[in-house]
Order: sequence, then structure tokens, then C-alpha cells
Amino acid sequence: MGMEKTATATHESAGPGTENGPGDAAIHISGLTKRYNERVAVDGVDLTIHRGEVVALLGPNGAGKSTTVDMILGLTRPDSGTVTVFGRTPTEAIRASQVCAMLQEGTLLEDASVYDIVAMVAALHAHPMPVAEALRRAGVADLAKQRSTRLSGGQKQRVRFAVALVGNPDLLILDEPTAAMDVATRREFWESMRHFTDEGRTVVFATHYLEEAEEFADRVVLMRHGKIVRDGTVSQIKSAASGRILRVVVPGGDLGQLLKLPGVLDGTQRGDRFELKCSASDAPVQALLAMYPRAHDIEIKSMGLEEAFLLLTSDDAKPPTNS
Amino acid sequence: MNIAFVRLEFKRLVTNRRFWIFSLSLPVVLYLLEISAYGKGDVPGTHISYAAYLMCSFAAWGSIHATLIVGSRIAIERSSGWQRQLRLTPLRPQAYLAAKVTVGMMITLPAPILMSIVGRFNDVHLSSGDWAKLVLGTWVATLPFAVLGTLLGQMAKAETVSGYFGAALLLLGFLGGVLMPTTSFPDWLQHVSKVMPSYWLADIGRAAVTGISDLGTAIGMLAAWTVVLGVAVVFRYQRDSAR
Repeated sequence: MGMEKTATATHESAGPGTENGPGDAAIHISGLTKRYNERVAVDGVDLTIHRGEVVALLGPNGAGKSTTVDMILGLTRPDSGTVTVFGRTPTEAIRASQVCAMLQEGTLLEDASVYDIVAMVAALHAHPMPVAEALRRAGVADLAKQRSTRLSGGQKQRVRFAVALVGNPDLLILDEPTAAMDVATRREFWESMRHFTDEGRTVVFATHYLEEAEEFADRVVLMRHGKIVRDGTVSQIKSAASGRILRVVVPGGDLGQLLKLPGVLDGTQRGDRFELKCSASDAPVQALLAMYPRAHDIEIKSMGLEEAFLLLTSDDAKPPTNS
Repeated sequence: MNIAFVRLEFKRLVTNRRFWIFSLSLPVVLYLLEISAYGKGDVPGTHISYAAYLMCSFAAWGSIHATLIVGSRIAIERSSGWQRQLRLTPLRPQAYLAAKVTVGMMITLPAPILMSIVGRFNDVHLSSGDWAKLVLGTWVATLPFAVLGTLLGQMAKAETVSGYFGAALLLLGFLGGVLMPTTSFPDWLQHVSKVMPSYWLADIGRAAVTGISDLGTAIGMLAAWTVVLGVAVVFRYQRDSAR
């Protein structure tokens, strides 16, 4: 159970009228780095999340999302860099019940009812919401008397959501909150989240579901290999990856040669058919025709968000230029 | 101390059927088996019947059992991730440990009460004041074991906690002369026995039965154990938080 030594800003809490600074932000991260043996999990992340924002932390597995979340919560100590939450250290913010979280590997007590589990956590918080309200908001009011061992995976996740809600925090952090939920439950969950954020609270959620980021976040922070690759609104992220997919038949074509063409990022080959991911459309096509005049059946289409996401987070994506 | 938290922790235990089966029925069964094996006589070198002597022993053992169960749950809560969840609340780790010790003490009282009732049905006769001394004395003197349970919970993992737990229970039981009278022990083992906190816990009960006992030594030994184990808990806690 760790104490944090990451405080930089020490003033108690910045009022609404103060200038933009670490104290005014819900989360302020600077130069955050964490290594596990040789592997760099989080690599010099700088990030400021303002009050009232709903931010999706998006990225593939191993991108450093969970490690970042753990450091924001003071569960993991950074190797270097600082985290402040409402201008305080993470531990101080937790002691003041300003931040609550639903972790990925969260657990429930096996020998207590859903109501008692939530009530136990409520008893620990500085200004909890009524237990019944947390259960209702999380959609588990009908499970109140159940033991947690009898719940399905999705139900357990909603109870864990109630556990996070009952602390009545200003900032809620959710690490892959909907992983075990079915589609209907997921929709209910986000409905409840929307209600929560309508009250002006800050929410940060890590996910690898693009639709969730697209639908619920004001802002998307895209992570890869411990770094922030893109940071912006969903439409900005989409346009940042304004790539094209080029399908073409090249008799006698060689994938290795095609990948060297200007603007080609990635590609696959099936016989004479090639599918190339390109950063733009004109340059690769011109170069292709110059090299292989017999190329035919050329088809160009723009990438969807899914493909843009994969491209931005793939290993050979270009280093981040700012969006 | 967070009373609502302690109350719910307490509720978790008292609604747990396994807890009652192991911490209460096991000492009673062993007691009945042993008094039928030893018979009606007095324990050699004393003027206490086996029924009375062993009643004190198993009141102590049942109390130890209950406190260690509470402690071992700390290990399970750490492995399961529940402690991680609690770290996201204002609950301080030292308050968590204090709550565990408190619940350990709360849950200990039924064992000496039940053993007294069983003893009463096996021809142990005491004045009401002496029954109170037996029950309350044994109960208060369980404190070092509640601290020991906490230490085991800090050291063990969920997979290993039952091993630690069983070893502690048997060592305290046999070496402390709780599971069988120390009068049958060789000299050197009797000396070992008198260092064990469990010996002195049972001795507190025996003091109520005989009226003669080295109560000062018993209190001193148990207080010393509480301090030593308490220091170990604090030391361990500081090491854990330095991670």
C-alpha cells in the first residue's frame, strides 16, 4: 500500500477563477515514465485533462493505458515524472474522495451481498452518495441481496461500477469498463455514464472499443508503446489518419518493391492482387503506374476509423506529427 | 476507527457458515474426545480435573483459531485484489489492519463462552465470578493472536495462507500445551512451552479454575508477545508500502 512522492503542486484546490495550471486541471501528467525490467510501459507521457472533460484513452493491449491509469491513482509509483489530480498527489486526491476508479482486475468480496459490498465502500468515503442510488445508477438495484459469487461477469462489472460511483467523486476513472458486458448492458452502462458526466464531472476511460470512444468521449487520447500518438477529438483523429486503401492488380508485381513506393505504409499480397495502405492517394498511384504500366483494376477508398486506428497504432506507423 | 466498516466486516464473518463450523465445533469435538480418552482423574501434578484443564485449553485454542481465520483473510483479500479496491478509498492501510484486529477480537468471544457451557455439562463447577474470569480473561488475552493473524495475513498469499495458518495453529496448540497437557512433556519441551503465548492464554483460563496462577507472568508474557508481533506487523507494513 503505497505512499506517493509525486507532488509538485501543493496548493489545496484551485478555485474556478484561477489561471490554467496543474491545480486547475483534473489530471496533470508531466514526463511520466514507468519501466518494468527492460520494457518501457509508459514513456514520457505529458497530458492535461481539464475538469468536465470525458476522455477516452484508446490503444491496443500493451500500449501503457493501464499503467498510466495506475499511476494516476497512485497504485503504481512512476520511475520519473509527476502526476497531480486536482493539484494534489494521487494519494491525497483519493483520501479526499475526489477520484474513484473501476479497475480492470477489480474484485468483489465473495462472502457479502452486493448491497453490503457497496455499503462497505460507501462507509469509507468522505461524501458518498446513498448506496441505493449508486446501485440504481449502476443498474444493479435488483441484485442488492445477491452474493457476488452468483453474479455473471457483466453483473459483477456493473456492481464494480456501483462501487466506484458510490464514492461520489469529481473524477471517475474506468479501465476497460465494459469488457465483460453484452451489447444491451453496455448501452445501459454508457447511458448511466452520460447521466454522471452531465453533472459536470470528469471521466477518463481506457478502452480498445473504438465505437465507445467515438460515441462517448469529447476527446480521444491515442496511446501506443507507452507514448501518446494522437490527442484530439474523434473527428481530428479520423482526419489525422486520412489515409487511402489502394487495391490493384499488378501482373508480376513484388510486394517488397510496392512497399517502397512513396506514400505506401503497409500492404498485403494475394497472387497478383495487392492491397496497399497509403497516406495519400495521388503520389502512390502515379509512382505505381510509372513502375508497373500494366497495373490495372485500380480501386481507391478512404479508411474507416477502425482502419485509421489500426494504422495509427501499428508498429510501423509514422512517428507522431501533431494533429 | 470506522465503525460502519468494522460492522460490515463483522457481518461478513458471522454470516459465514464455514467460520462457525471450524472455529467453534472443532474445539468442542476435540475437547470431548480428549476428556473421554483421559478419563475422570486430575491432571498429574495439579488438582484440576482433565475436564476443567482441557476446557481452559480448548477455550484458548478456539479463540486462537477464530483470530487466525480473520487474519488469513487479509492474505486472500490481497491476492483477490480487494485490497487494491480499498486503496482507492480514503481508508488508510493502518486503519484496515486495525479493523482486522478489532474484528478478530470481536469474533473471539463465542469460543470461550461455548467451551464454558460444554465444560459445565461435563461436571466443571465454578462460581459465576470465575466463569466470568475464564471467559473474559481468555477473550482479552487473545489480543496477541489477533495481531499474529494479521501478520500471517500480511506474509502469506491466498494459495499459501492455509499452510501458514495450519502450521501456526498446530505449533501454538502442541508446543503451548493447549492440545494436550504439558505435564506429559519432557523437561526441555516444558521450557519451550512456557515461551509460547498459547500456554499463557490457556493459563489465564486455568487461573480462573484453580484460583492460583502466576497471573503477572501470564500478563507480562502476553503483553510482550503483543508488542513483538505488533512491531513485526508495523515493520512488514512499512516494507509493503515502500514497494
